Amino acid sequence: MSDAPLILCADDDPDILALLALRLEGAGFRVVKAADGEQALALARELRPSVAVLDVMMPRLMGFEVLKALRADPSTSDLRVILVSARAQQSDIESGLAAGADAYLAKPFQASDLIGLVRGLLGS
Amino acid sequence: MRVGSVAEVVELVTTPLGEGFRGRGGIALPARVSNVFMAAGAVAIGVYFLLGFDGKAVWYLVIGLASVGAVFVGARRLERGRTAWYLFGSGLLFSVAADAVSGYYEIFRDREPPVPSSADVLYLATYPVLIAGIVLLLRELGVHRSRVAVLDSVIVTVAVGIVQWVFFVEPYTHSSLRTVTRIVGISYPTMDLLLLVALSQLLLGVGTRIVAYQLLILSVLLWVVGDEIFGLSVDDYSAGKWVDIFWLGSYVIWGAAALDSSAAYEAPRDRRAVPRLTIRRLVLLAGALLTPPVVLVIEHVWPRHNIHPISIAVGGVLLALLVVIRFAGLVRAVEGARAAERAANNRLRELDRLKDEFVSTISHELRTPLTSISGYVELVRDRADAESSGYLDIVERNAARLLVLVNDLLLVARIQSGQLDLDLGGTIEVGGLVSESVASAQPHAASGNVALRVRNDTGPVRVRGDRRRLAQVVDNLISNAIKFSPDGGAVDLSLERRDGIVVLEIADQGIGIAENERGRLFERFFRASSALDRQISGTGLGLYISKAIVEAHGGRIEARSVEGEGSVFVVELNVDR
Repeated sequence: MSDAPLILCADDDPDILALLALRLEGAGFRVVKAADGEQALALARELRPSVAVLDVMMPRLMGFEVLKALRADPSTSDLRVILVSARAQQSDIESGLAAGADAYLAKPFQASDLIGLVRGLLGS
Repeated sequence: MRVGSVAEVVELVTTPLGEGFRGRGGIALPARVSNVFMAAGAVAIGVYFLLGFDGKAVWYLVIGLASVGAVFVGARRLERGRTAWYLFGSGLLFSVAADAVSGYYEIFRDREPPVPSSADVLYLATYPVLIAGIVLLLRELGVHRSRVAVLDSVIVTVAVGIVQWVFFVEPYTHSSLRTVTRIVGISYPTMDLLLLVALSQLLLGVGTRIVAYQLLILSVLLWVVGDEIFGLSVDDYSAGKWVDIFWLGSYVIWGAAALDSSAAYEAPRDRRAVPRLTIRRLVLLAGALLTPPVVLVIEHVWPRHNIHPISIAVGGVLLALLVVIRFAGLVRAVEGARAAERAANNRLRELDRLKDEFVSTISHELRTPLTSISGYVELVRDRADAESSGYLDIVERNAARLLVLVNDLLLVARIQSGQLDLDLGGTIEVGGLVSESVASAQPHAASGNVALRVRNDTGPVRVRGDRRRLAQVVDNLISNAIKFSPDGGAVDLSLERRDGIVVLEIADQGIGIAENERGRLFERFFRASSALDRQISGTGLGLYISKAIVEAHGGRIEARSVEGEGSVFVVELNVDR
């Protein structure tokens, strides 16, 4: 179990956060949870997860800002990031990818899609 | 209405008057009383001109007294405006008394009364009383007191003042007559000036549809015209001249006005803050402005005395200034209204924008809890027994419905604010798109026992556009067709190629759409009554969205239907070369 990849999940909605953790742990990953952007950034720097699943609309620090900070910091610049959001218009997706996200997932999402994305990012 | 010939009088009498109003002020006399009086008066005036010198003097008094009597009789039965009409009667009585004095001189002394005499005093006393009556009447009627209305009166006063001054007053300032004579001579035109101003107020302030006031205006007008003509030829006036017709006509019509049933009626009040710029008002103002040049022309053509052009010029300048001020007020009011309109429009645009933003925010907010609902249902389903699984299916299905609705609402909001961003770069093979939609609609069709039939005569046809959105359109139309089809019915899809367009027709055998509702089918939130009656579910957004998508692709969508037999929806798109 300790060899399982570590996934950082960040979302200000505790239910969704719990859901993410449940699903990913069910798929065999280790999960660490953050309730806002600052916490997410701190945990990312400290624990060096393999993949980060970040909600966009978060208090303290928005998902985009966390992403930018991660990319700017050489120790975390190669972290794989999936942005998750209820705002999923074409323009939102393009902004997310332009900011450095590896994938963009729209809420509500299928658990299988999320797990598939994580596996895909870990594989490459 | 003009009293100028017996024929016209006869026509007047035989035309029904005073119709169409609800009165509230007293007992109405039958309309015929006024008509009869006028007819009798006309005859009497005719008789007047046939009489001899002395007979004329007496007959003049008879007509005058009869008219005064008529005015008092008419005034008595009024509730509203009674005082005003009593004043008219009294004023006319002064005038008749003055006529009596004149008559006395003519009959017993065979000459005109000297100037000045008691006749002049009585004549001059008439005017203030009549004017007071008009003022009272105008107050009754609730005439405008706004600055603009006052300005209009002032303008008319100045214009009339110029006329009176040039033709009637200034000659006296140069003449060599006694002071008293001159004062009397100036008093008459001054009184006429006041009467004319009062008349203009009547003209501007009073609705012309009330006959009694029409007649009143006419009688004042005749009185003033008679005075003016008399004033121009005062040296050669003598009783029995044709100018008497004006005063006699004025008497008679004044009496008829008071007797007319409509004198009891209430005039419609113009409740605006500023009087409307009617044609009448405009003509009056234009006339006022033109007075100085017209006066100059008249003086030039018929020179009588040496007038000082300076006085006319001063009057002209004053008039011009007043008219400018008056219209400046109007222009400012219009600009104010325009600015208010612009502000209101801006506010509306802002509200519209806020509304769109609101809808967008709400849509996104709604998706977050839906995420949890769907997510946890999925988790539970893994460990649920068959029965619970079935219930969870229902929860999941309804969550999906909610999601569709939220997405549709968001799409509608974006269409409204013009932000429907489509990816029009893709190439889509239409036949394939339709087949896919039909396939995914099979479960829905099967549950309603509806057959889906496709006929494609075109071979591969490509269009440019957004595959996802076009699929949405086809899905929506098929879904509607199935929804409204009867059990065991069929939905026919056909693809045709015509010139440069591809035509997709989706026909159902369902309940159809009423003729008067077909035009509204593609409106936001519109649900046909046939659908509402049968409580068929739907939000009324599908067709609105479909139309927006099709039109964004440069295509067309329309519906044909026969109520009770079925509908056909036709989508036309441009073929990609």
